[in-house]
This record gives sequence, structure tokens and C-alpha cells, in this order.
Amino acid sequence: MSRLALALLLAAAPSLAAAPTSPAPAGGIDAPRGGPLSGAELDARTNEIGGLLRCPVCQGLSVADSPSSMARNMKAEVRDKLAAGYDREQILTYFERSYGEFVRLDPPMRGVNWLVWFGPVAVLVAGGGVVAWAIKRSARNSGAAQATDPGSVPSDLPSRDTLPADARLAEAVRRTRELAYDWPGGVPPKPRPLPS
Amino acid sequence: MIPMLGRALVLLALLAASGGALVGFATGARPTALGWLWARRLAYAFAAFMALANLLMEYALLSHDFSVSYVAHVGSRSVPTWVSMVSLWSSLEGSILFWGLVMGVYVAVATRQNRDKHPEYMPYAVGVWLACGAFFSFLLAGPAQPFATVPGPPLDGPGPNALLQNHFLMVIHPPFLYSGYVGMTIPFGLACAALLVGRLGHDFIRPLRNFLLLPWIFLTVAIVLGGWWAYEVLGWGGYWAWDPVENASFLPWLTATAALHSALLVERKGVLKAWTVTLVIGTYLLTILGTFMTRSGVFNSVHSFTQSAIGPTILVFLAAALIFAVVLLTLRVNALAPEGRLETGPSRDVVFLVQNLLFVLFTFTVLLGTVFPLVVEAARGVQMSVGRPYFDRMSVPIGVCLLFVMGVGPALPWGRATGRQFRCALLPPLFTAAALAVLGFVFGVRNPWTLLALFFGGFTAQVTVSELLLPVRQRMRSHGESFLEAFGQARQRGQRRFGAYIVHAGALLAIVAIAVSSTMGTSKEIQLRQGESTTLGAYSLTFVNAERVSEPHRESVLARMDVSKNGRPIGSLYPRMNQYESQREPIGTPAVRTSLTEDLYLSIHNIDPGSRTVGLLVLVNPMVGWIWIATAIMALGGLLALMPAWRGARVPVTERARVATASPEGSS
Amino acid sequence: MATAPLPDAPARASRVNPWVLGAGLAVVVPLLAVLVLNLGRDPHSIRSPLVGRAAPAFSLAPVGGGAPVSLASLRGRPVVINFWATWCVPCFEEHAALTASARTFGDVQFLGVVYEDDEARTKAFLADRGSSYPALLDPDGRTAIAYGVFGVPETFFIDGAGRIAEKFVGPLNRATIASLIAKAKGGGP
Repeated sequence: MSRLALALLLAAAPSLAAAPTSPAPAGGIDAPRGGPLSGAELDARTNEIGGLLRCPVCQGLSVADSPSSMARNMKAEVRDKLAAGYDREQILTYFERSYGEFVRLDPPMRGVNWLVWFGPVAVLVAGGGVVAWAIKRSARNSGAAQATDPGSVPSDLPSRDTLPADARLAEAVRRTRELAYDWPGGVPPKPRPLPS
Repeated sequence: MIPMLGRALVLLALLAASGGALVGFATGARPTALGWLWARRLAYAFAAFMALANLLMEYALLSHDFSVSYVAHVGSRSVPTWVSMVSLWSSLEGSILFWGLVMGVYVAVATRQNRDKHPEYMPYAVGVWLACGAFFSFLLAGPAQPFATVPGPPLDGPGPNALLQNHFLMVIHPPFLYSGYVGMTIPFGLACAALLVGRLGHDFIRPLRNFLLLPWIFLTVAIVLGGWWAYEVLGWGGYWAWDPVENASFLPWLTATAALHSALLVERKGVLKAWTVTLVIGTYLLTILGTFMTRSGVFNSVHSFTQSAIGPTILVFLAAALIFAVVLLTLRVNALAPEGRLETGPSRDVVFLVQNLLFVLFTFTVLLGTVFPLVVEAARGVQMSVGRPYFDRMSVPIGVCLLFVMGVGPALPWGRATGRQFRCALLPPLFTAAALAVLGFVFGVRNPWTLLALFFGGFTAQVTVSELLLPVRQRMRSHGESFLEAFGQARQRGQRRFGAYIVHAGALLAIVAIAVSSTMGTSKEIQLRQGESTTLGAYSLTFVNAERVSEPHRESVLARMDVSKNGRPIGSLYPRMNQYESQREPIGTPAVRTSLTEDLYLSIHNIDPGSRTVGLLVLVNPMVGWIWIATAIMALGGLLALMPAWRGARVPVTERARVATASPEGSS
Repeated sequence: MATAPLPDAPARASRVNPWVLGAGLAVVVPLLAVLVLNLGRDPHSIRSPLVGRAAPAFSLAPVGGGAPVSLASLRGRPVVINFWATWCVPCFEEHAALTASARTFGDVQFLGVVYEDDEARTKAFLADRGSSYPALLDPDGRTAIAYGVFGVPETFFIDGAGRIAEKFVGPLNRATIASLIAKAKGGGP
């Protein structure tokens, strides 16, 4: 059980590793840190970074997806910067300077933002613990009940030798047994002694 | 005249609901036949008044009576008739009126069906339903009045939002959505009744489960219809953007699915009663939260209705409902003691719990992401976004795990599994799993999560098919029936189980299709002059001409694109740009060519008939069509699972004897 | 069969379950708090992070041709930059106010930056309405992006040291222009 939880946690880890880390932008973005790109790779990276920027005039669409002219201008800006050799963080910081943290669709790890990254993991671990506890408690409870007081846990389900407590249900069970099993009165017949 | 009549009907609905709620709760505490009779009558009255109010509003819309405030808001003489009809639910106050209609119908049906059953629970249930009904009537009577009188009625109106006139899907998406969303009120009432009575008996879990399944089917279809609408109408090429309103419809679906599965454990073993009730209550609370998210104007969303006074009112109701739920659960949850026990070792029980955990985790994650910008604004005073990249990253591992669990669960037996049973159950499906993953690799899939989804998809597919056919094989062996005969008989006798596995089949197909379509698509943005061509994958597109089309409510420019695949011409597609009178920016309608393997998707970014150029976005999306097919399969499976309840399962005496003495068929 | 009432329900164990209470409050209280605190918030009005920071540099050509105007060359004087377009209805309203204020405040440099529009239409508009300060063209929208412009009209009030003292969203009137210029001259927020 805990192994399963650990497995799920490990599965989540690479996702967390991809969480962007960056302090709040202070000034300009200085010189390009990466190498210039071109061709198919440029297109691919432009789309990738465009997907991380929010189109400011649209409702929730990314710059890569939005057809509006502002989004296309921003995408062209991303492309130019990539071709000049700026890397992802620098480009995201550039837009963040102008539009604020609002423009980043992927929340960077900053301030209280850690909650949105670690919250789900915490719930997973806590939930796994609750599930394990629930199973243990269920086993313990029924074991204890059987040991101390067999009749204390009320049950609707009839056993072979008795009829249930509820009057209507008892009637239905009795009739079924009479018809289906040929048990008069709904009670199993006593085993006949073997002829000696 | 009509506004006054409408207001009167709404007021009468409010009175019926308030009175009925009081009578319901009083009868629950002190049961009497007369009390139950009046509770039922008031429930029917509420339903009738709501229905009449809706009919009246439809009449006003179709006859363009602009003295009614809602009609003046969204009506127009220049839109087609079907647009006038669906304007009922296109905008704020009208959609609440429609909510009232759907709630009335559900309450009436649920009350009538259970009028002489579960007498100790039903008055409480009706009381809860009508209390919710009273709130929505209050909204209609006060903050969100659709029937206000317009003093100087205008001669014409602006028509509903342009985006909503673009596509026929607008006709069916809201009714399905409301049938799902509002329908969650019924199981909520039943669950509260169980808590108020202090018992969740074997007999009562059945109606709870059935009335959870019915809205679930509608909600599943509605969520996917919303995605289809986004895909066909919005033009960005995707079907799910994790928009707050999309999430609002998804959250209750997640908890409802978890509740359906834990309800099965309640029925079989009498365990997890309190948990199931909590999930059902949580589902309803999420629908109220969802409606707050959609209507309050506090969330940044594609669907945002404009800000209005009803936001705070819904918030008050949400707070009251949350507090009521917490108090009720705190005081009563100990009464729902389990009757059986859960298996501790590897068994289906444990997998059910893991599945529930995953669904709750998913719900929490989506809710957290949606609400988080508000948290940060309150805490740091900074405006930030939580968008698609975050949600995609979180939901992919959870989705893949769910796919895995959907395969492992049905493969394992109910009791404690021995090592040998474990191996026999889990090893054979690995072959299909590996085969599908290898097939994907051969076709170019390199994304590790997609490969994993294919692997688990194959595993789950084999398990699902073998579980579906298990009773069939047993019948063929023990009764000597042919395959078709055995299939028919097994389906008829175990229709619930049959339907459930059909739903699983649909769900696994949907997950695999989503995984493939979101990672294996290709795209291209290009400016084309008249006569120019471009290629993407096997497709070759030529921009033939641009044509203007005039309709009463909009002016459109269509671009004719001739398409050929692998050199063979396959027809023309007509993406368009529509200019509505009331909007500055034109709104595009993409052209989509769906085939079983992939979609060719064309969306216009800019078009100039004068200079004969078009800026085009071309996408090739594999397996998208399968998502819609998979949803239809899930809905069909759900209906199959629901049907035996309505047929009333009357089995003749001789048949009963045969069933009782025969060996158990396909333990499920 | 259906009307006989069931025997009395078993005695209810109405102990308060502290775990449920705790979990319930842990979920309900923060959720309601967040929603209540955000009521009345307009998610579409985004505050600019540029206020108080150095104004982004630019060098743009004016409508009708001529030497490019650069922000750096205007250092030492307060500058008012108004982003506008001919298709924007509130921009008509504020055009007269801005034109008049530019004449009144001789020591302040007013600039208009045309946003997502074409040159011919802009020229016609200015010929029709008159202008007292240069209108600059921003063909790729790069300057608008650098200034974090969401739409038009948006106006930036920059002080003599080149810092953005205030950003105003929406149409201006003479009184507002005067007070914001005073703020820019006063130096600092």
C-alpha cells in the first residue's frame, strides 16, 4: 500500500522538477545567455514558449494558440529573441516586466506559489495514509466485533440459519427459501441421520 | 402582461418550494401520511410553476416581446428562429430560469418514483430538494429577475452573444450540462436524508446510486460537448483549455465518478457509507461552487457572464450549504457504521480505495489550480495565472494512473487474492499492453507518458474485454448456448455490470485518444496568396478564392481551400471569418475534416478579399474523432447500467428457482 | 405492502466526530475566505508592474515620415505617451483633451503611439481632427508589448528622470491629465 503511494510520488517527482524557479524580475534582461536558433528548432521553441505566455487580451488562451494580433506580435517577439539567442527564462522575464506575473501561464516558484506545486503531493501522501488507516481500522473493527460481541454489529444480510430482524425482509427471505430450496418455514432441514 | 405573469409564477414557485421544504423537514422529523402527501404536492407544484414560467419565457422570446427585460437583453428580430429559442439559456437570468425548469423536472420525477418507497427518508429528501429550489426561485424573484418590465420597450434587441450563434452545438450543450449539473441535487437530497435519518440501509443505496448515475451520464456528455464546441467554434485547435468554467463542470464529474464506485462497495459490503455520502454531498457543493465561478465575474474566463449582484447571493447560499453539510456530517457520520469489512491484502477493495484517492487528488488539484490566482491575490496582492501548462502537467500522471487502476481493479477478485490468482489475473494482459505500446512506437510515438498511456490502455482493454466476456464464456460452458445466445442472456441478467464495463471501455479509449491527440499533432501557420498551396503531412491545401456571404445577423468571408491527400483530391473546406454587428473583432469559424485516424483542421487568422491573401493555421490532429466516439460509448454504457432499475426486475417464480440453485454466474 | 411504516430507527449515535469537523473546517473556511476576499475584484483590470520603474526605450518613426523620435532624447522633461487607434471610440473623446493639454503644458512632451492601425487612416484622422504633438507608428506592436499595453486608450506619465510615474487606462479628461502631470513633475509616487 505504502509502496503504491511511493510509486505515485516518484511519478509526480519529474513533474515537480520541471517547475520553473525564478525570483521576481528586477531590471532588464541583459545579454543573451543561450545560442541563437533557426529553422525547425526555432519554430518548435517559439511554440513551446508561446504556450507558456498568456495572451493579455484574450480569455485564458496562450500566445501560441491565440489568433489575435497582439498575440501574433508577441509570438514574433519571442521568435526574434530566440533567434538572437535569449533563453527561456530571459524571454519570460522580459514579458513579465511589461505585463506582470499575470502573463505567465505556468506559475513560477515564488512566494506562496509553492502551495500550488506541493499541495497535490501533500494530499496524495496524506490520502495514502488515510486509505491505509481505513483498511487497518476496518480489519481491526470487524475482528474485534467478532471476538467480543457477534450480535452487536447490526446487519441486514441474513445468514443461513436465521432470518433477518426486519419483518418485511424476513418474510421475503422465507418465501424465497421455501420456493427455491424447498425449506419449509425458510429454515434448513436438520440433516437426516444416515441409515445404519 | 407577460412580465407580470412571469413574476407571479416565479413567486408562486418560491412559495411552493419554501412551503414544501418546511413540510418536508417537519414530516421527516414527525412522519405522517398527510405531511408526506403535502410535501409531494408542493414538490409537484414547484415543478409545474417553473415549467410554466419557462414556457412563458419561450413564448416571449419567440414573439419578440421586448417589454420583458430578458427578451430586451438577448432577443432580436434578425436572428434565426432556432437562435431565439435557445436564447432561453444563452444568458444569465434565462439560464437560471432554465436551471429551475430542470430542477423541477428532476424533483417531480424523483418524488413520483419514490412516492410509496423509503418512507422514513423521502420527506427529508424532498425537504432538501425544495430548499435548494427555494433558493433558485429566490434568485429569480430578486437579483436575477428575467421577467422585469421594461418601461419603454425597444423595437429590437441586440441578440445573444455572437459566439453563441455560431454553431448548432449551442442548442444541445446547455441542456445536457444542466441535466447533469442540476441533476446532482437529487442524490444530494437523498444523501442528506440518509444522514438526517441516521441510517443508510441496503435498500436506500439503490436509488442513491441510480439518481447519481443518471445526471452523471448527462454531465459526461455535456463536458465533452463543451470540448467539442471549443474545438469546432473557437478556432485555436484544441478542445480543453482548463478554463475556470470548464473546470467548474469537470470537478463535480470527478467526485461523482468516485462516488459511483464507492457506492458499489456500500452495496456489496456495507462499507464506506459515510465516505460515499460525503462524496455525493461534495459533488453538489462543487456544482454550487461551479455556478458561482461562472456567474460571479470573479474568475477570468472565456465564459464569464458580466458581473452582477447574483455573485454575492450565490456565495451566501454556498456558505450556508457548506456549513449545513459540515454540521450534518459532524453530527451524523458516526451513525453510518460499516457493516462489513474491507480486505487488507491485494484485492479489488484496495484498488477501489486507490481509485477513489486518485479521483479526490484530481479534484483537489484542479480546484486548487483554479482558485489559486485568487489565493495569491489575497495573500501577496499580485495577479498571477495558473494555466494550461500547470494543469496538463498535473493531470497527465493522474490520468495514466487511473488508466492503470481501471485495468488492475477488475482483473483482481473481490476477496483476498492468492499469489497464483494475482499472477493469473495480471500477467496475460501485459501482452496486449506491450503490443499496443510497440505499435505506438512504430507509428512514431516518443513521448514517454503517451507510451505509458498506450501500455496501460492495452492492459486495461484486455482486462475489460475479458471481464465482459466472462459470464458469456461461463454460460456457453454450463448451458451449451452459442456465443450470441450466451451474450444476450448474460447482458440481460447482468446488465448493470455489462453497462459498467462498456463505460470502462469508452473511458480507456477516451484517455488513450486524448494522450495521442495532444502529443502527436502537427501544425503550421502560413500566409497564402490566391492560388498558392501548402502541405502538411500527407495533405496538400490550395487557397482557391475568398467569397463574401451575407446573412441577416452577420457578414462572413469564406476561404475556399481545396484539399488533397497523398495526391488524391478529397474535396474543399471552407473556414470562415464572421463579422457580427455588435462585435469589433471578427470571429472565425474553423473548418474541420474528421476521419477515423485524424482531423484536418483549418482556422483563419486574417483574411483580406481585397488583396486576396489569407493567414491560415493548419493542424493535423490524430485520433480526435475517437474522443467523441468514446464518449458516446460511455453514455451508452451508463444507460445500459441504469436501465434494469426502471424495468423493475420482475423475475417469474420458476426462473427464480433456477437462478437460486444455479452456480453464481460471473461473480461481479 | 407499501404503507406500513418500518419499525423505529435504531438509537442514533450522535457523538460529534471531531475528525470530520476538523477536516470540514479546514476545507470550508479557507475556501470561503478566499472567495469573499475576492468579491468585487475585476479579473480583467491588471495592474501594471512598470509604474515606478524606468520607461522602456523606443525609437519610432512619426506618421507621414520624418526622423525617428526616441525616448532617450527626451530625458530631462516629463513625457506623456498615449497609446491610441482610429478604431477606438473612447480615443476620439480624449483626443481633444490631449491636444489642448499639449498646448497648455509646453514643458511636457506629448507623444501618441498608434496601436494596430494603418498609416493612411491615421493620417486622415489627424488631418481631420488636428494634432499638436507627434503621432508615432509602432508597426510590429513591439513598443506596445514593452509597455504592457492591453488595449487602447492607455496613457503613461513619465517624469524627467525617465521613470513611469503613472499608467492610466481609459479615456482622459483635462483635469486628470493635469493632476497626473503634476504627479510626474512632483517626482515619484
